[in-house]
Order: sequence, then C-alpha cells, then structure tokens
Amino acid sequence: METFILIGITGIGLGALYFLVASGLSLIYGLMGVLNFAHGGFLTVGAFVGFWVASKTGFETSMSEFILAMLVGGLAAGLFALLIEQLLITRLYDRHIDQALVTVGVSLVVGAVLGGWFGNDLRMFPAPLWFLTAIDVGGAKIPADRIVYITTAILLLVGNWAILKFTRIGLIIRAGVENRNMVNALGINVRRAFSTVFFLGGFSAGVGGVLVSVYSNGVSPLIAGTYLIYGFIVVVIGGMGSVPGSFIAAMMIGVIRQFANYYATGLGDFVVVILLAVVLLIRPQGLLGKVRA
Amino acid sequence: MLRWKYSRPLLALLLALLALAPILGANPLSRPGLQQTMAVAFIWGGLALTYDLLFGFTGLLSFGHALYFATGVYVSCILINYNVVVWWLAALISIAASALLALLVGAASLRTSGITFAMVTLAFGEAGHVIIQRNFFNLTGGENGIALNADRIPSFFISVANTKFIYWAALAALIFTYAVIWWVTESSAGRVFAALRDNELRVQVLGLNTQRYKLLAFVISAALAALLGAVMLIAAGSAAPRFADAGVTISLLLMVVLGGAVTRWGAVIGGIFYSIATTRMQDLTQQESFKTIPKWIGGPIAEPALVLGLLFIFVVMFAPGGLSGAYYRLRLRAITKKSQ
Repeated sequence: METFILIGITGIGLGALYFLVASGLSLIYGLMGVLNFAHGGFLTVGAFVGFWVASKTGFETSMSEFILAMLVGGLAAGLFALLIEQLLITRLYDRHIDQALVTVGVSLVVGAVLGGWFGNDLRMFPAPLWFLTAIDVGGAKIPADRIVYITTAILLLVGNWAILKFTRIGLIIRAGVENRNMVNALGINVRRAFSTVFFLGGFSAGVGGVLVSVYSNGVSPLIAGTYLIYGFIVVVIGGMGSVPGSFIAAMMIGVIRQFANYYATGLGDFVVVILLAVVLLIRPQGLLGKVRA
Repeated sequence: MLRWKYSRPLLALLLALLALAPILGANPLSRPGLQQTMAVAFIWGGLALTYDLLFGFTGLLSFGHALYFATGVYVSCILINYNVVVWWLAALISIAASALLALLVGAASLRTSGITFAMVTLAFGEAGHVIIQRNFFNLTGGENGIALNADRIPSFFISVANTKFIYWAALAALIFTYAVIWWVTESSAGRVFAALRDNELRVQVLGLNTQRYKLLAFVISAALAALLGAVMLIAAGSAAPRFADAGVTISLLLMVVLGGAVTRWGAVIGGIFYSIATTRMQDLTQQESFKTIPKWIGGPIAEPALVLGLLFIFVVMFAPGGLSGAYYRLRLRAITKKSQ
C-alpha cells in the first residue's frame, strides 16, 4: 500500500511538471495555431535564471528564496517568450508551418548559446534542504519536493483559470480559441491576447524549468528535451487549447508512466505512446478538445 | 521552362566525376578522409530528399522521420551481427521492416493532420528512441549502441584503404533514392501528393482516398530512409542511439528548408552542405586562432546549432524557398527580362 501511494504521488508530481510545460503549449496552439518548439527554450531560460537567483543566496536556500527564484525564472521566461513572439511570430501571421519552423530555429539558438556559455553538464541546483525530508502520507514516505510540484501546478492552474475566467483579456483569449475570425470581425484586437498567451505560457514554462531542474538534480541546456515531448503528448491527449484538459492528461500520464515503470520495469514511455495511439484512434480531438470547424 | 538547358548534361558529368574521382590519380577525393566525409554527406543528402517527399511534396510535417532511418540502421545491424542472413538480405529486410512500421504508425497518426500530426509523429519517433536506449532483450546495446561485426560484411567495406567502396555505396544509394523520388513525384500518384499539399479538400471532393495517398508517401519515404540507414551502418561501422534522436529529424527539416523544398536537388544540396558544414565547423573551432575570441562569444559560435539556427530563422523569414528557391527566382527574372 505504501509503495502504491508513493508511486501514485510521485506520478502526480511528475504530471505537475508536464502540466507546467503543456498548459502554455496548449493555449498558444489553441489560440494561434502555433506549434511552439521554442517552449523548451523558454523552460531552459527560466531554469538558468532561477538557478542564477538561487545561487546568489549563498550555501543554503530558504523556501522564500526558492519561491523568489521560481518567480524571477518564470518572469524571465515570460519576457523572453514575449520577445520571441513580437520579434518573429507576429511577422509570420497565419503562416503556421513557418511559425513552427521559426520556433525550431529559436530552440536551436537558445540551446547553442546556453551550451556555449555554461557547457552541457548538469550544475547542481541549490534547492532548500527541506525538499529532501520525507512527509508521511498514509504510511508512505513522500519526498517533500513532490508536494511543491503539485502545489505549484495547482496554483498555476487556478491562476490561469482565474485570468481566463474573470479578466477581459481572458475573455478575449477564450473567445479566440473558440473562433478567432469572429473575434476579429467584432473589431477586437486579438494581437494583445496573443502576447498575453505567450507571456503566460512562457511564465509557466519558466517556473516549470526551475522545478524540472530540482527534479533532475541540476540545470543544463538539455533538460527540456523530454519534457517538451511529453508536453506535446499531454496537449494532444488533453485536447488542443484546453487548459483543464492538459491538467487531466498531465496527471494521467504522470501516474500511468510511474506505475508502468514500477510494475513493468522501464516500459513507462512505451505505455504512454500506446495510450497516445489509442486516444488518437478513439478520440482524435483529445479528451476535452473540440472538433475544429 | 525554368530549367537551364545544360543542367542535365552537366549533372551527368558531375556524377561521373564524383564516381571516378577516387580512382583518377591524385586529387582531394583520393584521400580516405574526404571520401568518408563525402559518403556521410551523400547519405544525409538522400535522407533530406526522403524528408522532402513528405514535407515538401506532400505537405506532411513529420517529426518522427528518424525512426525509419534508425530502423534501417538497427535492424540490419542486428540481423548481420547474429548472422541471421547475408548482409544485403539484412538490408532488404530492414527496408521491409521500416515500411511495415511506417504503415502502422502512419495509419494511426494520419488520423490527425497539420500541426497535430507533427506532434504525434514526434511522440512515436521518441518512443522508438527510448526503446533503443532501454536495450530490451540486450538487442540494441542501450546508450552505447552496437558495433557492426566486421567479419560478417564483405571485406571490401573494411579497412581505410577501402573507404572508396563505402563512398561508392553511399553515392549509389543517393542516386537510387533520387531516381525513385523523381519517378514517384513525376507519376500520377505524385500529382495527388502535390494536390494534397495544396488543397486537400479538393482532392477529397474528386473522390480520391486522401488517407491512402498520404500513407503511400509516408511508407515510400520510410522505406528509402531505411535503405540509407543500412548504408549509414556500413559507413559508421556501428548503430548508435543518436541515429534515432529527434535531433535527426530536426536536422533533416533544416536541410530541406535551407536547400529549398519541392525542387529535389535543393534538399540534396542542403543535406550535403549541412553534413559537411557541421563536420568542418567542429574542426575550425578547435584551431588555436579560435581560442583568442572571448569565451562569451566564442563558446556559442563553437556550437554548429547557433549558426545553423540563425541561418534557418533568416531563410524562413526572409528567403522562403531556400537556396533552390532563390535560384529559380533569379532564373525567372532573367527569362522575363529576355522576353521583354
């Protein structure tokens, strides 16, 4: 039973990381039709800036300093995302394939610049020592960092939901995901919504980057790779443009992957891809996705 | 016609020169080092062309093309090492295996289209990469890959002095790939591929089974990629997980976009150029004079991805059509000027 709870919660923790990457991808795709390969770059930028903040705080990082590192990392990634959007994406308006190609270029450049400056080896991320303690949940000893991932993901889910639900720009974004041409026809400038979505997606990815580098014991320009791919899988399974769909899919995949890895040694990734194939065959638009007109 | 009237005789001459260079007395191509570099470059050129069939001609943005290349490398390597069949039969079986795999994966992922298709193929490709790295049944050798057992391939593919045979094999594979893709894209099926790219709805209205044609393009491209994979196995001497990496497909995309899609020769030139550039750039950055550049700028420049990434962004934004596109634009301008 203890093992069961431990694997379950670890899976949810992993799912939380996937969600942080996937929520931005899903919104960006849903609103603008951009397949954003640069999202891994946003994550890495956030991770490195967060790392820089955390390493300024001396040998031991306190919880508040860690939260600061997450926020600054997220902010830096958000601003970077905004810059990319303004500089490159807006110029390729409605050329979806070209937009995807440009983001591939961005991810290459980010990887090369960070790799050239810092090398590709893992650098130990100074996380609070408290992360290493175990919390007792139903007899199972859960590493405390998993709880941090889950809390952060839930906070960002609620934050995203609140922005989408209660602000004017959120309303425009939701309407734009539903039918962008109609919003344009009503004389509302969708471009501002694009920028907001890129910033929010970049922010989530940046916060995710800090957490990913804690989870994988350090930062390097290569940490984003698998998370970006899992982010894509989550987006496809959850349904394009649906943040709650991404959340459900991310949790599902995290848990399934952990259980499969434990009970069928190392088959986790394989099971996830089979799941993807099954979802595509039964419900090509994803769990909460709408059929595009 | 935009084609230059001397282009075909010139191409034949160039191919004859390339084929004969290793035995035509002293020239750069009589050195095994350059022969090896060119062999690898030819394979990449061919691979870029198979990707062009998907991306350029049929409009399918796949991010999982590495899977079929790696299938060619690994299946033929395993069959040869365990002495199941003779080497050329191993290569043929790996091509069939790759086509079958593409049939299954394609049938599932072609239920989606456009950008979703890109994500789904990426996921399948990565699954293949992971399976290779996990070393199931001790077949794939995990992270280290597997070395090709040299006793089981003909002796003319072994030793440095015989590099010219690898060079010829790669050149032959490139020419074969080019011929097949030329034949396919000029056939009536090729017209349907182009129509699918330009207006899928219209093809559907004409009563054609769009899925079946897309699947055909997917399978042909995968089978040719496996052939080039089998040649790569002989050129590299081992099967390594890097052949299955998503980075391979991204490189292919870069090659096609830089060289120019839908022109066939553009993709080949793009692939050859890219392959040589990444090899040469590593040599260049190891020179002494390079160390005088400050690290904050020299470090990133030493990564081939920086220059290629920037070049790629530039081409996508300002020079769509890449190298071959620019050439045809110039031709068009010259012809219209003459007729005025």
